[in-house]
Amino acid sequence: MENSYEETIDKRRVHLRPDTLRDPAPASLHLLPCEVPVNRPTPVGRFFTPAIRMGRDGLEASFRGRSLRGEEVVVPPGFVGYVVTEEKAEVLMGKQDDHERGAGTAGPEALERDCDRFMGATASFSSFTVWGLESIPGPDAKLRGALSWPSLAAAIHAQVPED
Amino acid sequence: MARGADGGDGARVWQHVFLLPEYLKDDSKKMKSGLVFVKLANPCSGEGTIYLFNMCLPQLFEIKVFKEKNHSWFINESVQSGGLLHFATPVDPLFLLLHYLIKADKEGKFQPLDQVVMDDMFPDCILLLKLPELEKLLQHVTEEKEVDKKKYYKYSKEKTLKWLEKKVNQTMAALKTNKVNVSARVQSTAFFSGGQVSSDKDEDYVRYAHGLISDYIPKQLSDDLSKYLKLPEPPASVRNPPSKVAAQRQKRDK
Repeated sequence: MENSYEETIDKRRVHLRPDTLRDPAPASLHLLPCEVPVNRPTPVGRFFTPAIRMGRDGLEASFRGRSLRGEEVVVPPGFVGYVVTEEKAEVLMGKQDDHERGAGTAGPEALERDCDRFMGATASFSSFTVWGLESIPGPDAKLRGALSWPSLAAAIHAQVPED
Repeated sequence: MARGADGGDGARVWQHVFLLPEYLKDDSKKMKSGLVFVKLANPCSGEGTIYLFNMCLPQLFEIKVFKEKNHSWFINESVQSGGLLHFATPVDPLFLLLHYLIKADKEGKFQPLDQVVMDDMFPDCILLLKLPELEKLLQHVTEEKEVDKKKYYKYSKEKTLKWLEKKVNQTMAALKTNKVNVSARVQSTAFFSGGQVSSDKDEDYVRYAHGLISDYIPKQLSDDLSKYLKLPEPPASVRNPPSKVAAQRQKRDK
């Protein structure tokens, strides 16, 4: 009884492989001010990066004919940036599927419970370039607020002193 | 494509951009596995929310996502839609435990912790029991009894409000150190759009800190904390529940 319970919990978990955090290759990241509705390889190094110039107020580039202004943003102190992707579930999948059907997990959440999934860091970064349309995202930009979140979160979640 | 794993169709998988605490990288030398994303009950909304649990330490992190319309990433030689940025920051487990302690308090008796922290919806909540120094943490929000070397706990609202007041104070201090960032954000919050801008700066900070802490506690407790901190009622149009507004209207009509 105890065991089957533990097993069910395990099936809902997604693991992040710690060994992948150790030494992933550095990545170059750009946050664009537009939605590109696909996820796929694209020749960034051929079309985008070579066009980046140092302008009077920050970096200049263009994308799809629109002019972009950007600057380098450093990740908050004490943090490391990672690009994390899900690892392919390979051959095990088929077996697990059968097992699952036998166990009778049903309902809308069944898919998530199928089996443990694994994610790993494929790259790391300590800064990235943030781009705005025609002007650099200002100090009021949502991203700036978000980047100050870790220091605020540290205060909210630090243990309070005893009386 | 230079990186093998991402070659061909592989690169079509979703790439998540994360900011993780640096020390996880050092800890990773010692651990083979143990970082797990789990779904736990959000202490404010009660809804399922993804957390990151470090089994080795053990330690709990919350995941916040920066998400703004019309953004995408270029990651090396690939494009990733959405432009999401995930933050994993340490979270005080007491907020998550409080959710269960308050629930169990309806029965009004002392109970062992493993009977309090139970959840059919989010069975991973038992991971919370593995966290270190739980007994010390629980002293902030519960009365406890020891019978036959087993500890029994009961939610204490008085102690909890005292604890939350300390949380508000230390959050306020952080808001003040981050002054530049925060003053802009304080003004841009909905709290102050009602026209009642207070001249007392400190009061703005308390209210803002109260708002931040309220993201981690149930609504009822947030209201109680507001009274405890003697925060003036926010403008009716912004925060009062409809029932309260109706009551005020009735008064006015008389």
